[in-house]
Amino acid sequence: METIANDFTINIATANGTGSQSANLILLQSLFEMGVPVSGKNMFPSNISGLPTWYIVRLSDHGYQAPGNRTHIQVLLNPATWHEDLESLEPGSVVIWNENAKMEMTREDVVSYPIPMSALARKINPKIAKLVTNIIYVGVLAELLGIDQTELESAVAKQFKGKDSAIELNITALGLGRDYFKDNLEKIDPYTVEKRTIEKPQFFIEGNEAVALGCIYGGVQMLAWYPITPSSSLAEGIINYIPQLRTDDDGKVTCAVIQAEDELAAAGMVLGAGWAGGRGMTATSGPGISLMQEFIGLGYFAEIPSVFWDVNRVGPSTGLPTRTQQSDITMLYEGSHGDTQHIVLIPGTVEECFEFGWRAFDYAERFQTPIFGLSDLDLGMNRWACEGFEYPDQDMDRGKVVRDRDMFEAFEEFGRYLDVDGDGIPYRTLPGSGMDPILYRGTGHNTKGVYSEKPHDYFDLMQRLKKKIEGARDLLPAPILREEEECEVGIIYLGSMENTIQEIDDILESTGIKVSQCRVRALPMHSEVENFISRHEITIVLEINRDGQLYGILRKELPNNLITKVRSVAYSDGVPPRAGIYAERILETLKGDGQ
Amino acid sequence: MSDKPKRPARAIKLNMLDEPKDSYTGGKSSLCPGCGHDQISNVIITAAWENGIEPHRVAKMSGIGCSSKTPAYYLGQSHGFNTVHGRMPSVTTGAYAINKDLLYIGVSGDGDSASIGIGQLIHAIRRNMDMVYIVENNGVYGLTKGQYSATADIGSKKKKGVVNETQPIDLCALAINLGCSFVARSFSGSKKQLGSLIKAAMSHKGFALIDVISPCVTFNNNDESMRSYGYVKENEITLHMTDYIPHFNPVEEIEVPEGHFRDITLHDGSTIRLETISAEHDPGSAVAALTSLHEAESSQKHVTGLLYFDNSKPSLAEDMELVDTPLVDVPDTVLRPGKDTLDKINAALHS
Repeated sequence: METIANDFTINIATANGTGSQSANLILLQSLFEMGVPVSGKNMFPSNISGLPTWYIVRLSDHGYQAPGNRTHIQVLLNPATWHEDLESLEPGSVVIWNENAKMEMTREDVVSYPIPMSALARKINPKIAKLVTNIIYVGVLAELLGIDQTELESAVAKQFKGKDSAIELNITALGLGRDYFKDNLEKIDPYTVEKRTIEKPQFFIEGNEAVALGCIYGGVQMLAWYPITPSSSLAEGIINYIPQLRTDDDGKVTCAVIQAEDELAAAGMVLGAGWAGGRGMTATSGPGISLMQEFIGLGYFAEIPSVFWDVNRVGPSTGLPTRTQQSDITMLYEGSHGDTQHIVLIPGTVEECFEFGWRAFDYAERFQTPIFGLSDLDLGMNRWACEGFEYPDQDMDRGKVVRDRDMFEAFEEFGRYLDVDGDGIPYRTLPGSGMDPILYRGTGHNTKGVYSEKPHDYFDLMQRLKKKIEGARDLLPAPILREEEECEVGIIYLGSMENTIQEIDDILESTGIKVSQCRVRALPMHSEVENFISRHEITIVLEINRDGQLYGILRKELPNNLITKVRSVAYSDGVPPRAGIYAERILETLKGDGQ
Repeated sequence: MSDKPKRPARAIKLNMLDEPKDSYTGGKSSLCPGCGHDQISNVIITAAWENGIEPHRVAKMSGIGCSSKTPAYYLGQSHGFNTVHGRMPSVTTGAYAINKDLLYIGVSGDGDSASIGIGQLIHAIRRNMDMVYIVENNGVYGLTKGQYSATADIGSKKKKGVVNETQPIDLCALAINLGCSFVARSFSGSKKQLGSLIKAAMSHKGFALIDVISPCVTFNNNDESMRSYGYVKENEITLHMTDYIPHFNPVEEIEVPEGHFRDITLHDGSTIRLETISAEHDPGSAVAALTSLHEAESSQKHVTGLLYFDNSKPSLAEDMELVDTPLVDVPDTVLRPGKDTLDKINAALHS
């Protein structure tokens, strides 16, 4: 039998709250430590206990990180999804199933490995059999696929750091799973795991934790937040790092944390912090940003440095709270009523999550405006390989602040909203400093900050704000271009699509189409994006949403002669992007163009 | 301010910082002439001057509405933030986290505090944030021309419109129940009482709520209510209405001795009965404070004075365990941990 090494997808169907997440992470970590390029996607429900959960482990020597287009090995524990999961399998797939689940194996065209998981687990400890059942299937998989026992044990130790009894229990359970398979079943499937040499050591980390760490190194001084999936772990990440990194010898902290009463209050606190001269931030998701709209407009109009992280989930409304999407792009870019335009930073890797975490504060104080970080559930809550974080390569940029009397006196004329340097960015003074006190307001104002309804005051102010944000384009993170040779087709994409793009590219190439890539990393878009479009016959804008939001922004901002070159491929079903679906749609679109 | 040139010898009264009262004034008011809110602004000016507060160490905070416009009319040397409707408490909370050493004076109205922003008010009280929170309470939405607010009395009737049959929210009772550490009620015309309360609130460490009855000169016309001009005029003798003040003059200044009440005539001719809480009242007793509020309500009076006070509660800064230096003054090199710390984290993640 021919073997298939490191190129298959495992789907593990369990119920939420049974402890399967620990078992799955042990599996993922041990594969990772064997040097196998692997990714894990947690498809969890909006529920604490009892509803179906799937964990998708993709092994790919190509480095593909997206969930595969099909399942090769199905682990079946959950009676609630049993039939649905079974029916979705292609003939020849492997099924490892819990014989004690009181469910039937209804497929004859699959490789069936029945395991009495519950009975084995009860042998160890009947009281926690449900919990132990999960680790049993990891043992079975280890035996089936050839996962090193040493890597498994080291992953268990990592998962249950210092809890010796838990480590012992789990290692025993792994052994039971392994032994049961060895003693009772014969391997008749082709899937195996092969060790790979690790060239650069990497670790696994969630995007939310990477942003949190970045914020700590950005000198965050106030975190105001309201719990919401999938952003809570970002806020909690900051909270967890404060004792280690932002606490003095007396146990006092340099970062205030306030759990707000709602997202409106969280946004208000962020603006208050910025107004007072500090680095304030919040972390939320789309529904929270919806609630914050009023303050976002105030931040833009009164010009208050502020940082908002949006870990995008599926909308509209409550939507699918535990699924991923890129659908808040327009809301962030044009947030709040009236004419607005906001700076949005869009990381696509965990390294960028860290970097944009600290940079966001510099941009906020430089441009005196709300800055958004746009992540998503896939990037934020799943684990990604990372080589390590790089320390900020420049000092904190505190922006144009008049800090002392001499600096103040040097101005020929001073006005809080007076454009002295011609870049649209005025100078500000801070409360408590005694310099040029003004009453900040969300009402129309002149260059001194005084209420004004005069047509030219309003017009000039709005033009200056436009100039200020437009001026940020080429100072924000430039797009990442992959353009090795001249191609007719370009693909523009953003954020977590980074993890699927290579596979899409390979699928397209297998049909004879070579494309170049441009990953947008900030709004307003860098001039390089426009140049990229002008260099290609057709550019496809690839997004995880229904309406093609980034495409819409491009259509609005591109010169007329380029608009006709741009096409939209937007698709979203809540699942992290699978390459096949997008590649197919790209091909259809190109066909329409006669390519 | 000490390096200012010496002032010419004039008979101008100076405070302990050698500042004239002029240093504490603001711009010209654009409120209706005679508005009670302007009287409150003047009391704030006097209180800050008399307390010898450095104007630049004050932060003037407000929401949206007639009352929230007033920070432009006092303490012109202080920074301020006229935020959005009902959300002044959250903005103040964020500012306070960054600079806990400023004196935060918030001014709000009954629309701002009892309706759209009641949640934020409640949570600012719950956190015991250090601030003076003045509600300029007139029972109506002034800027949108006279709709009832959530503090309007039952039975109020506007010139055009229906009788208000929804029961009012008593912000003082609410605050006492929430454990607010300083709760007072006063009247815009009670210059002396209000002045003392504001001065005391400025010195209080924690959240100080002062609900100030501040009648609206323009929209508080309850013609058919029992407190209306018409009603009062007909019953002039029984109500001893001898000092009616015509429209567009500030309401009279009034001081009511402790334990006594007086009927105050408002712009529209209606009267309001104010009782100053008695000297025997124990402001440390929430039960006594709530009793006096409920008794006043049932006898259609408003009880004024310091109703409840508790200086034993930790303030928000203590709760947050912040470093002693206000965060705004903490150097960047302290805010950003050193490179060695990130090296350690990377190493730990790799292990």
